[in-house]
Amino acid sequence: MTVFLLLPSLLFLLVVFVGPLFRYAWLSFHADSVMTGLIAIPNGGANWLRLVQDQRYWQDLGQTLRFAGVSVGLELFLALIIALLLDQRWRGRDLVRTLALIPWALPTTVMALGWRWIFNTPYGPIDYFTNLVGIGSLNILGDPNLTWMATVWADVWKTTPFAALILLAGLQTIPVDLYEAVRLEGGNPLICLRRITLPLLRPYILLALLFRLAQAFGVFDLIQVLTGGGPASSTESVALYAYWNALRFLDFGYSSTIIMASFLLISVICLIAWIGLQILIPTHSKSRGVIKS
Amino acid sequence: MKQSTFIKKILASLFAVLICSAVFGLVRARTIESVTFLMAAPFADATRDLVKQFNQEHRGEINLQVVRGPLETEAMSDLAISSLLLGKAPFDGLLMDVTWLPKYAAAGWMEPLEDFFNEKDVDALAIGAREGNSYDGHLYRWPLTADMGLLYYRTDLMEQPPATPEELVLVSQSLQKDRKVDWGYVWQGRQYEGLSCVYLEMIDGFGGDWLQPNNNHIGLDLDPGVQAAAWLQELIDQGVSPNAVTNYAEPEALQSFKVGDAAFMRNWPYAWTELQKSDSAVKGNVGITTMVARPGHSTATLGSWGLTVLKGSAHVNASIEAIRFLTNESSQKQLFLNHGYTPTQQSVFDDPQLLQDKPILAEFGQALKVVKARPETPLYAQISDVLTRQLSSILTRETTPKDGMNVATSHTNQILISAGEKL
Amino acid sequence: MNRRFLIALLLLWSLGPLLWQVYTSFCSDQALIQPFVSNDHRWTLIHYQNVLNANPPFWRYLINSLIVGATSTFLCLVLALPAAYALNRIPRQLSVLTRLALVGAALFPYVLLFLALLELARALNLGNQLLALSLPYAALSQPLAILLLNSAFNDLPPELEDAAKLEGLSLFQRFRWILIPLISPATASTAILVFLFSWNEYPIALTWISDSNKLTLPVAMARIAGSSIYSVPYGAYAAATVLGSIPLVLLVLIFQKPIVSGLTSGAVKG
Repeated sequence: MTVFLLLPSLLFLLVVFVGPLFRYAWLSFHADSVMTGLIAIPNGGANWLRLVQDQRYWQDLGQTLRFAGVSVGLELFLALIIALLLDQRWRGRDLVRTLALIPWALPTTVMALGWRWIFNTPYGPIDYFTNLVGIGSLNILGDPNLTWMATVWADVWKTTPFAALILLAGLQTIPVDLYEAVRLEGGNPLICLRRITLPLLRPYILLALLFRLAQAFGVFDLIQVLTGGGPASSTESVALYAYWNALRFLDFGYSSTIIMASFLLISVICLIAWIGLQILIPTHSKSRGVIKS
Repeated sequence: MKQSTFIKKILASLFAVLICSAVFGLVRARTIESVTFLMAAPFADATRDLVKQFNQEHRGEINLQVVRGPLETEAMSDLAISSLLLGKAPFDGLLMDVTWLPKYAAAGWMEPLEDFFNEKDVDALAIGAREGNSYDGHLYRWPLTADMGLLYYRTDLMEQPPATPEELVLVSQSLQKDRKVDWGYVWQGRQYEGLSCVYLEMIDGFGGDWLQPNNNHIGLDLDPGVQAAAWLQELIDQGVSPNAVTNYAEPEALQSFKVGDAAFMRNWPYAWTELQKSDSAVKGNVGITTMVARPGHSTATLGSWGLTVLKGSAHVNASIEAIRFLTNESSQKQLFLNHGYTPTQQSVFDDPQLLQDKPILAEFGQALKVVKARPETPLYAQISDVLTRQLSSILTRETTPKDGMNVATSHTNQILISAGEKL
Repeated sequence: MNRRFLIALLLLWSLGPLLWQVYTSFCSDQALIQPFVSNDHRWTLIHYQNVLNANPPFWRYLINSLIVGATSTFLCLVLALPAAYALNRIPRQLSVLTRLALVGAALFPYVLLFLALLELARALNLGNQLLALSLPYAALSQPLAILLLNSAFNDLPPELEDAAKLEGLSLFQRFRWILIPLISPATASTAILVFLFSWNEYPIALTWISDSNKLTLPVAMARIAGSSIYSVPYGAYAAATVLGSIPLVLLVLIFQKPIVSGLTSGAVKG
């Protein structure tokens, strides 16, 4: 009986999550492009060999990792501060929390247009500001060294509220008495943070980290509308490269290979992040005193 | 008694008339063929009046609708491809850029048109407009406008336009030194298809070749290829072109030239009309010529747009009617006079009245004679992508011209090999 | 650390970019290029006029997004509610495994699925149909929905259902009269989160819909971004951004409680 309740949902999940992975794995061992008339013809490991030698893929991968790493790191840092701020009770807190959620609720492409204008040289407000403080005009959206930072900024702006809410949820599960105990033992806020907050928050940080890392790795909407992958392909992400291979170059076989490889890589990276977090923030044992341990 | 029967008869006959006309209307409505064309935004706007005319002339038979697509060529192609990939495309006809043709044809998305346009029709086209309409022995595209890359210059600042790349730099620098203009030369340096067009003119100008599709010979890393890339990079280094040119597409270059900030601009023929508008600071002081090059090698990149019919369309004949209308002499004259789009029919180029009203037409005709098409291969999108990527690196000083072109060549080779084109 | 200062900074950072768009949307093109032009030439409504009178008109996209959002949410709930209920009634190891798999699926960057889904659309002729979009959207939001609803079911005391069983209510009746009403806060949260997801989704809508009359909001915005023939089209862009943002801002303000509780409980249980 219960099986029938689960079946429809299971079917959808299999078709949408599991099916594609098998399809990509299969397709990556075939040539399927405009040159084959859009029919899949087995070609052994040729796509994979090409991927290994494809300098552009590795460059895109590096750029995507750089984007994801910096963006997620910045987000978590800011999210913690915001969560700490929102954890206390003050008048108007609920309203501020709601307003801070707005960036997360807007579609990425809608605001990406806005960012194009804000970072515009020479007419945007950022340019005005940099000229005002004497830095001069920075060709933000045209300089390969700067454009990726603009994408990080736009991403952090949008996703920090989400991470902040997750951390806030975690903060609210920490009993107030623990902080009282530390204060009685003579500790300061920093020790509170290190010995209590972070360890107890670890599962939430983990959730936010893994979720955001995986999503940031697949960045697509933002890059396509804000920079189109340029300048000099410095902001191109692996998802964008896969998309172009399929829809611009009509090479489905190679696109599948890119997606498959990226999926495997992101799984490995998430695993590493998980282990890394365990090491970085050890949980403290409750038996020992907080400051002594 | 008789009155009511009479009234009944009147009512009955009125009713009958009503039914008949409704049926008639329905039958007629069903025979109105609805034809949809997809065009990039500027073309959709420019042909609006022509479409209205066509619908008026064919009222009750054909109703032509034009769907307005994105401006940027790549975005436009993405849209068309997504529609085609999904199966039944919601369009009958597509206004196609010259570089998409081999890919769409190889994918089997287009209806061959040889049965509808015979040799007489082809001969009526200007020679340059005949390029890029066929693939693999079939005619797939009928040209609407024959675009070619042009060098625009300020007639109030110089007697004759420069003929070689070195002259252009010298003239620019002296004008900049005299503070006549902020910048010497503005062009399209952003990483997109426009950059390939700019580069093609330069590599040909230095005597080289990008890719020959018949023998797959790549000329990017040879001397002319490297020289072309180096010359473009030096324009920015020497201050002849602004740093921001690495983010310029056609609108930005046009804007800069229009307000009088630059002495030279590379752009398509449409820019001429824009520059003669009342808000242009350089109105009346603009001349055009083909791109600077080594003597005898001056070329203009072919950028024509043409109409194609998609396979599986239910209204092939009606679409052809529409295509014929949009590309006939009077339509071309209208498009030229109102929007500056270059005609494709030789007769329009030779029209004495037109030549008198707009002498620039003669210049366009001359430029059309030296057009060069970009490599015609279904892999064009990929090799152009590789080239613009490296060029963008070179222009932003991330790499040297020699290294960049070497990488471009090896990547192009990789693409050709994995597509089975080369062994 | 002055709290007020931090709060002000937070609000400025969160709302600043959007407010700048509002400001830009009322500026004439001239004012955008020359920031210090006089006030008579500065303000204009023409950008809004252009966007609202475009072909197709802007509200069309909002309606499309609404249709897709509503059907996706409905389908998602229809699938997820039974599944969430059933998750508690399967053997323990299986349920732990399933939960882990669901978390993994929830983390998955769904962008990577675009190619397979495109092939699916081609094979089953689902392209260019708004209602068809609800299929992948409902599927993609299943993991989150099942996890949220399942934890809500878990919180219900089992005696309630046992009592209902004793009274002879069938499964369907139990669902209809007892279970679903009792978890309605969680259902509301799930519904609004799924709705937001569908509204904001881009890659799949981009590949499944090409007809300009059927575009959803994010894809339409991206297309607007590529369509302007002016070199400084930012007034029109800003107007489009503002118009595109208004529905979402309203949604967030009206549904703030379910959204926040949905996200936080999802975090706690996940």
